[in-house]
Amino acid sequence: MSEQGLEKVLEVKDLVTRFHGEGGVATAVNSVSFDVWKGKTLGIVGESGSGKSVTALSIMRLIPSPPGKIEEGQILLRGQNILDLKESEMRGIRGNKISMIFQEPMTSLNPVFTVGNQIEEVLHLHQKDLLSKADRTDKAIEMLHLVGIPSPEKRVSEYPHQLSGGMRQRVMIAMALACGPDILIADEPTTALDVTIQAQILELMNKLQDDLGMSIILITHDLGVVAETCHEVAVMYCGQIVEFADVHTLFSSPSHPYTKGLLESIPSFDSTVDKKEGRLPTIEGMVPSLFDLPPGCSFQNRCFNVSQKCRGSESPPSEKLEKNHIIRCFHPVENQGERTHP
Amino acid sequence: MSTPLLEVRHLTKRFPIRGGLLGREIGHIEAVGDVSFKIHKGECLGLVGESGCGKSTLGRSLLRLIEPTSGEVLFYGENILKMDRTKLRHLRKKVQIIFQDPYASLNPRMTVGDILGEPIDIHGLANSRAEKKKRVAELLDHVQLSKDSIFKYPHEFSGGQRQRICIARALAVGPEFIVCDEPVSALDVSVQAQVINLLMDLQKELDLTYLFIAHDLKVVEFISHRISVMYLGHIVESAKAHQLYRTPRHPYTKALTSAIPVPNPFHKSQRIILKGDVPSPISPPAGCHFHPRCWKASEQCSKAFPEETNGGSDHFFRCFHPNE
Repeated sequence: MSEQGLEKVLEVKDLVTRFHGEGGVATAVNSVSFDVWKGKTLGIVGESGSGKSVTALSIMRLIPSPPGKIEEGQILLRGQNILDLKESEMRGIRGNKISMIFQEPMTSLNPVFTVGNQIEEVLHLHQKDLLSKADRTDKAIEMLHLVGIPSPEKRVSEYPHQLSGGMRQRVMIAMALACGPDILIADEPTTALDVTIQAQILELMNKLQDDLGMSIILITHDLGVVAETCHEVAVMYCGQIVEFADVHTLFSSPSHPYTKGLLESIPSFDSTVDKKEGRLPTIEGMVPSLFDLPPGCSFQNRCFNVSQKCRGSESPPSEKLEKNHIIRCFHPVENQGERTHP
Repeated sequence: MSTPLLEVRHLTKRFPIRGGLLGREIGHIEAVGDVSFKIHKGECLGLVGESGCGKSTLGRSLLRLIEPTSGEVLFYGENILKMDRTKLRHLRKKVQIIFQDPYASLNPRMTVGDILGEPIDIHGLANSRAEKKKRVAELLDHVQLSKDSIFKYPHEFSGGQRQRICIARALAVGPEFIVCDEPVSALDVSVQAQVINLLMDLQKELDLTYLFIAHDLKVVEFISHRISVMYLGHIVESAKAHQLYRTPRHPYTKALTSAIPVPNPFHKSQRIILKGDVPSPISPPAGCHFHPRCWKASEQCSKAFPEETNGGSDHFFRCFHPNE
């Protein structure tokens, strides 16, 4: 995963996060490794329960403990392992160097404070020495202006309930970016929004990335969103990254049967002409429980390419297919030439 | 043409807003405004729109789960809104609904056997216990669930399986028409495809008619024969599925279809990004409700609401400045 001329902002190495529950131990993140480059967007895709949100929370060190625990691995922020930091030091990083926005803008804003107040709080925590109270208010207005909220001077003193869903998500972005973080983690930022509003937010995030040069980790289940915003993509299944590639490679020659299945199961406008007779290709079965994973490859029971080897005791190792294309599969799908998926 | 299975004429639903000391009606929200359409037997009509556009209210009004304010809903020519309780109960055997959230629409204290048996009991569709059991087994077979599911509770199933149970429950009474209110929105992509395939198979097998409500246009396009697009309580465009996407006439439809992220990084779409949010239905803009967000809006648009225009080959739209 080397890319010349780019700065590595974050490096996650063999991260393992486990949850110890009554029903046993669930390995929600299972030796996950990836790099985040300056000014680039890394997409993490997967279905519910694939470990994408837990990966994000692990980076923020926000895993509820107990029952969860980061048990192995390293998270290097500009070379410094943040897993070694004290909680007080970590607080200096959250919202300052690494920020996060969540899926549900309704519940992640505090209903009893004005939006200006909530943006100022971030500045108060991290830049108290640099900015006076009046400066902070100005900065809050400036941030609201940056995320495209009309008449920010007025909006700054409004409460979250006075804003629409899309506006609230803009406020969340303004809060997250107030301190100029190196990395923005966006956990399903547009899932709760309508398509026309989703288009607005994605455009805003792309624009802000160009202007501010931050890196984004975008967590989503929507491959359309990935195709439009990400530079590199990690596909997660049952806690593991089963395929990692740059966005063009992933969509033109998906090599893991799961990735291929996911791409095919999306209905598209220009798919088949006589589609009323046709059916959508599907991935049979469902995601297995993390408490009860089969030995070997966790995708074995849904895979069309399964062999005896996949059901063995060894889970497939990370293998490099080519430069910057990594896959965990014993039987990668052969891609003849360029695929012409929609 | 034969009588349509369902015909909706000028259906309107207004929710009162109460306020003041005595809880007087101080205004209303027009959730569904003057909506008319027809669905023929064996057809699937897709209904798309953003949240708050009234698509679910419309779906529920058809079954009188919400009492519409005015208009007519004709089922084989008979007005549902004029039916008394007995008749309405018989109608429920013919018309069923599947809800969005399979987590919330199943009683957690009932086994699957009881859930599927209840509608059979209510409508007296089985004469003996053995017959009922046979019918339940048949239903499970239809939705591809194993027979031992009968003794399980909803929490033992995944989201996709629960939606299958909901589908089986709707099928229990042998309906002709099913309102599917966002049936796959809560499901993961790979499971979504399974449920869509199941719905399409069942439609062929049992000769069903669907009203398929969703906000995911790709899904709707895949399953529907015709599609209607709603915006703030009104149907602004309706056409055959492939026609609507290839040649959208209403600017809103065009913006909506262009806003969908395309899962292809090589494709750079000409995106139309709409300004602003959907206005509040409490005080919708005068004239065409879409005009404040529309890039084609003229003086005329803010004055009058455009009448329905027939663009030929069953393509209807409400716009003064349609796309060519």
